[in-house]
Formats: sequence, C-alpha cells, structure tokens
Amino acid sequence: MSALLEVTDLTLRFGGVKAVDGLSFEVREGEILAVIGPNGAGKTSAFNCISGFYLPTSGSVVFQGRSIVREVPRLWHSLRLVHLLQSFGFYRVLPSRVTKWGMARTFQNLRLFRELSVLDNVKTAMHANLREGFWSTLLHTPGYRRAEAACAREARGWLDFVGFDDDEELYVGQLPYGEQRRVEIARALATSPKLLLLDEPAAGLNFNEKQALMALIRKVRDLGVAVVLIEHDMGMVMELAERIVVLNYGREIADGTPEEIKADPLVIEAYLGVDDDGAAVDDTRLRTGAVSADAIAAAIGDGAGGASTPLPGTRADQEGDVR
Amino acid sequence: MARDLAAALKHAPLRAPAPLFDRPAAPRGILDSQRGFMRALGALCVVLVAILPFVDASRYTISIATSALIYVMLCMGLNVVVGYAGLLDLGYIAFFAVGAYVSGIFTTVLGFPMWLALPATILACILAGIIIGAPTLRLRSDYLAIVTLGFGEIIRITANNLEVTGGPSGIHGIPTWEFFGWSFADGFTIGGIEFPERVVFYYFVALVVIVVGVIGAGRLGKGKLGRAWKAVRDDEDAAEAMGINTYVAKISAYIIGAVWAGMAGQLMATHLSAISPNSFQFLYSTLILMAVVLGGMGSTPGVIIGALFVSLAPELLRDFAEWRYLIFGVLLVVVMLFRPAGLWPATAVLPWLKKRRPQPPPFTAAIGAVDEAASTGGDAVEPSVMESVDGLPATDAEEGRRG
Repeated sequence: MSALLEVTDLTLRFGGVKAVDGLSFEVREGEILAVIGPNGAGKTSAFNCISGFYLPTSGSVVFQGRSIVREVPRLWHSLRLVHLLQSFGFYRVLPSRVTKWGMARTFQNLRLFRELSVLDNVKTAMHANLREGFWSTLLHTPGYRRAEAACAREARGWLDFVGFDDDEELYVGQLPYGEQRRVEIARALATSPKLLLLDEPAAGLNFNEKQALMALIRKVRDLGVAVVLIEHDMGMVMELAERIVVLNYGREIADGTPEEIKADPLVIEAYLGVDDDGAAVDDTRLRTGAVSADAIAAAIGDGAGGASTPLPGTRADQEGDVR
Repeated sequence: MARDLAAALKHAPLRAPAPLFDRPAAPRGILDSQRGFMRALGALCVVLVAILPFVDASRYTISIATSALIYVMLCMGLNVVVGYAGLLDLGYIAFFAVGAYVSGIFTTVLGFPMWLALPATILACILAGIIIGAPTLRLRSDYLAIVTLGFGEIIRITANNLEVTGGPSGIHGIPTWEFFGWSFADGFTIGGIEFPERVVFYYFVALVVIVVGVIGAGRLGKGKLGRAWKAVRDDEDAAEAMGINTYVAKISAYIIGAVWAGMAGQLMATHLSAISPNSFQFLYSTLILMAVVLGGMGSTPGVIIGALFVSLAPELLRDFAEWRYLIFGVLLVVVMLFRPAGLWPATAVLPWLKKRRPQPPPFTAAIGAVDEAASTGGDAVEPSVMESVDGLPATDAEEGRRG
C-alpha cells in the first residue's frame, strides 16, 4: 500500500528545547497507527506540525503527495520577517487547508464548540463541502435550502455512525463526557477525511466506553480512513494498532508491530527507566533473557485488565520510580 | 431524495452513511416551535412599530423612535462582529462615521442624490472593513480590542481635521431622499392623518431598512457563514482544524458589521441632516457594545431589546433630570447581576418548550443499529445503543440533564 502521509526528519524547536527531533515515519492508507511515548515525548507537538498548527523548524511533511511545509526564501530569514509573514498566512499551509486536503484531527482536551448544538457542531465541520454563498443565505434560495437539508442529513448520518443517540439539539456542554468524545469524532469525520488524527481519544473514558471507542475506530478504518492515534492506554494500543511508533525526547525510538514493540529494548528502557550504571531493568532481563511483554504490562498497566490504566511515564518515572 | 441532497454538496471523498432513521420533521406551529413563535413575535413588533405614527405623530416621538431604530441597526451589525464572531470591537462607531460622512460628502460636496450615495456608502464601508480588519484580525481578544479602539479614534480625529469633512463643525444641510423632483421633505397625508415633513423618511424608510437588516443578519447567522463565525468564537483553533479559514471568517464578519453600521450611518445622516465628529465619540462605541452584551450576545431578540433599552431608557428617565444617568447605570448593573448572559440569551429556549422531550429513536432503528454493529465489528455493540434498546436508563439520565 502506498504511503498516505510521509514525515521525514521533522524537527520542531522551541527556543533551546527540541520538542520534536528528526522524526520520520509514514502512514499507509487505511491502517491504524499508534504513536506512543512518555509524557513530554513530543507526540502532540508532532501532531500539531503535521496538521499545520505549528511550523516545523526543519523537515518535511507530505500528505497525499502535497507538502505541508513551505520553503521560506532566505531573504525573509535575514530580514527576520518570517514569523510576521507566516502569521499572515504566507509561506505556510494553514490548518484549514490541510483539513480540506483530507486530514482531520481531534484535540487532547475536548475542544467542541460549546455554545453550538450537537448537530451544529457536526455541520460546522462540513463548511468546506457546502455550496452556500452570501446571497443565497441572505435570500434563502432553493439551493440554500437544499444545501442545508443535505448538510443536516449528512451530519445526522455521522452522529448515528458514532452511536450518538441523545438529543441533537442539546448544547455540547450539557452532554456527559463520553458523549462529547463521540461528537468530537463525528465532527472530525464530517470534514470527509482520508486520515484521522486522534489525540488521546480514550482519556477519561471508562472501560465500556473504551471498548465502544475501539469498535468505533475499527469502523472508521473500515470506511477506508487511516487512523493515527496518540494513546497512553497500552492495552488499547496493543489491541487496536497495526503499527506503533514510539517517541522519546522528540526522537523516534521504535517503529513496528505491537509484538515487535513489546520486545524492543529501547522502548522498555524509555518506559521502565535505566539504572545509573546504564543497565536496563536488569533483574527482568536476568530472569527472561529478553524483557518480555509482561514487564511492560506490569509497569504500565494493561488496559484489558479492567478499569482505568493511567500511564506512569513522566520524567520522574524515567528517573527510576517505577522500577 | 437522498441523491438530490448529495448533489447539493461539493464532491468529497468520504460521505456519511445514511442516517439510521428519519427524524420527524420539526414542529412548525406558533406555539409549538421556537422559530414559529419568533416569527410571529417579529411580525407583531413590525406592525406595532408601523402604526406608531398613526397614534402619535409628534416630532419628538418620531425622532426618538427613529433613533431607536437606527440603534437597532447598529447593534445588529455589532452583534455579527461581537456576538457571532466573538471579536471584541471597541471602535465600532468608526464604521457608523464612515457611512454618515460618505453619504454626507456625496450629497453635499459632490451633489449626488441620496439614492446614488447608497452604493458608495456600502463600498466605502467594505473598504474600511478590509483596511481596518486585514491587519488587526490576526490578533486575538484583548489586543484586538485595543487596536480597534485606536482605529475608532483615528477615524474620528481624521474627520475632525480634514477639510472635506467640514472639520469640527461637520457637515450640515444633508438632503433627504428624493425621486424625480418629489422629496420626502414635502411630507404627505396618509389615511387622513397629516405627517410632518420628512416623517415618512424618518420613520418608514428606516423601518424597512431595519427589518431587512435584522432578518438579513439573523439569516446569515444561521447559515454556513454564521456557523463558521460561531465556531471561531467558541474555539478558533478547533474551527481552523474543521476546515474553516478563520481569517476569512473573521474578516467577513467585520465587513458585514461595517456595512450594517454604514447603512445606519447613512440613515442617521439623513435623519439629522447634520453630522459632526462629536456624534462619533468612543462613548457611543461602548454604548452599542453595552446594548449587545446587555441584550444577549448572538441573540437577535436580545440585541433588539438591548438597543431599545440603551436608546430609550435615558429618554424615559428624563423626568429624573440629572439623576437619569445614575439610575440608568444602576439599572444596568442590576440587569447584569440577575441576567449575566443577557436579557434574552442566544441559548434561551421558550419556557413552555423546555419540557419537550427528544424523540427517542424508533425501536426498529435501534435494533438495526445493533445488528449493523454486530455484523461489522463483532464487538461493536455500543453501550449507549444498548441502553436505548432497554429503554430505561437513558431516559432517566436525560431527565436529569435537562433540568
């Protein structure tokens, strides 16, 4: 299968900090890819670069053969006008354009339009696909009425698809958290994407809701939409993802199937920490020869086990708390 | 039917699966639906306003009523900018000034008739909206407010210093509308009641323009553009991620706000027949903004109420002489304390419609959803779908949430 999204040598620097450091990976059509890594590993920053919100310091992002990063002539660099020009939309691809090309995303902390109804939230995402002009809206022409009816039908189709079964006229603030997550996915799907980026879609969901979310993500994949998700729930990632990319300190440290990732020493080091003398989790290694999946499961919790599985993966953990 | 609808959308690689069941059509009656009730109420208001001159055609009443109507127009324009798009504009009166001055200059200095000044006013306001909006709309919230404040003052001070605008004394002798030698200034008689000169223009033309302005702004707020504005207001980044070019959305709100204000400015120039920089002070920007916030941002009925309150309250409180602005201020504070979202918030639902229960999905449709999920994903039976099949837990939850 051909690559839908190619990220090459992506680097994002905030002052002296490299949030993303030479990240390369690709997403193939219709696959489910998980991006994991300890907190602060640069996963969300990478997402923001890919979807056009952040402008990478260097590297390239190519989506369906179209580059999301634009060259800036040297002149503007020397005049220090790059930032100003880019803030006016020059030498960059705006996130809205990236969305029109077929990449949709959700946000880590829910970002629905709180003062719009559920139905309007989904309709809003169809902005680019709607044939409605200024005059037709003002005069309520038959074309406008048709477009609005089609828009409502499509939005309801997506709401039914994600299994939303409450009142569509409610304001999203009135919905329980799990339903809001569903609406956010319906809204992202309504932009008609080829690639869906989900930033921690399972955060704050209970076991049943997570199971439903996994089924939904598979359903989305079955539509032919590639799904990339950032997720901390290892049980969910291992069960759902076809491929996993692991980041640490902005760098990619592993890329492979769930089985390969479970056995990767670098991943275990990133998650479980290293002794001061540099040996990763030696007693486990002594016992099993190679560190097993059980080690990860023991340290970071296994989502299949039950209730919520918060991921220790903070900097403190890397210092060695988890051991 | 479905294919017709699909043709109404632009081509997109991914289409939603058909909805699992057909929703019942929204109720339409005057008392059964918000929309029907609001239409009836609007029509009633227009009729009441239209018969006012037949009840009391005194110069004072008509003059006050006309300025109240102009305030409504201005507030509807600002409502697009502040209420829909969430752009705090503290210099909105600048566009009002542009409209008033352009029509004034076109009719007095250049000698065009008033109806020819109309397209010129609109063009000038679009231009002013772009000139002021293009550089500033990259900014967010507080910064935007300060920059618009500056632009509002720039326009006023420019008008104060230019020769063509008549300097501090402004422009006077602005003619009223006239067609082929017949002018509104002549006045005339309808139904045996003689109207003082120009009352027809003062009032009925303003009324027509305002009705068109109110309906137009309301319609724009409900369509694709309106949803984009509200999305930008609620969360700019999320709106951008949904394929809305937020810059274009913001500048279109700004331009439409400018045109509405320009139309109001022209009405006002013809109404007073004289304008001066003093009529466009910062105070008026805040007053209009206050009307919008007081009435309820983004709510058409709310904004109209707010505009009427702000324009009529000082007149109605005239008996209290110098105390009236104090009372006015206290009233405002009281209103904001008890109704922080405005007198008629945009999210308000008519009290007798609040109890309306959502139509539960038809039993067969819910079964279909479960079947489909079971056949596609195996374990895709979502808990919430199950709940609605059981019929019990979901309704309780809804009851609680609705209260």
